[in-house]
Amino acid sequence: MNETQTETKTEVALDVPWNVVVHNDPVNLMTYVTMVFRRVFGFSKEKAEQHMMEVHQKGRSVVWTGGRERAELYVQQLHSYLLLATMERSA
Amino acid sequence: MNIERDEEGGFVFSEVDPPLVAMFQAIPAAADPEGNKNALDRLFPDPAARKETRLNEEWAEYVRPELREGFENASTTVEADLAPLMAGEEGWTIPLGHVDAWLNTLNQARLVLAARYDVGEEDMNRTAPYPSENERSLAVSQIHVYGLLQECLLQGMEE
Repeated sequence: MNETQTETKTEVALDVPWNVVVHNDPVNLMTYVTMVFRRVFGFSKEKAEQHMMEVHQKGRSVVWTGGRERAELYVQQLHSYLLLATMERSA
Repeated sequence: MNIERDEEGGFVFSEVDPPLVAMFQAIPAAADPEGNKNALDRLFPDPAARKETRLNEEWAEYVRPELREGFENASTTVEADLAPLMAGEEGWTIPLGHVDAWLNTLNQARLVLAARYDVGEEDMNRTAPYPSENERSLAVSQIHVYGLLQECLLQGMEE
């Protein structure tokens, strides 16, 4: 019985969606951040600018939510562009 | 300083003023984070909160070396493009295919300088000149000049 409960919990933990979060950085240019969002996520210019402004004004923006592997890939891409990005379990 | 586009879309810089020549020559050195923990932490941040110990450890082992290699390759490309300027000429060309490497290296340089000299939002928004010429005020100027070059490349790419 205990074993079944443990397995179920593990599966649930693996299935939890992850948020990819971009944090504000006073040095990165707004135009550069917008370009990165368009390239990495394929956002339209308007959507990229919305997220960029959210980062700038609120300090962070959740730019993507989904499976862990894909989230890791996105964070790696954002780091390769030197954006301050993290991933966190979605509440 | 004049900026023109060549037939292949590359950016041709000419008649660069001496103070700017010195700043552009310093790009590869400015982008090097070695020996400064703050700069290294900024260029290679953890991907998750501290409690995600395993994820952060695996990242440091497998992903960070890849990122480092990418940054170094971009910086090497920039250094090669700057060779004419280093040799005393008053201009240089950024081929269209090298623009990404330039954007990346300029960003590295800006972030490393900001981390080394603890440059924050207040410095970035400051409009008044600094009271004296010191290393830190020079670093802030470098960050702004490199930013202008980035803007110029980004705008050129959109045209």
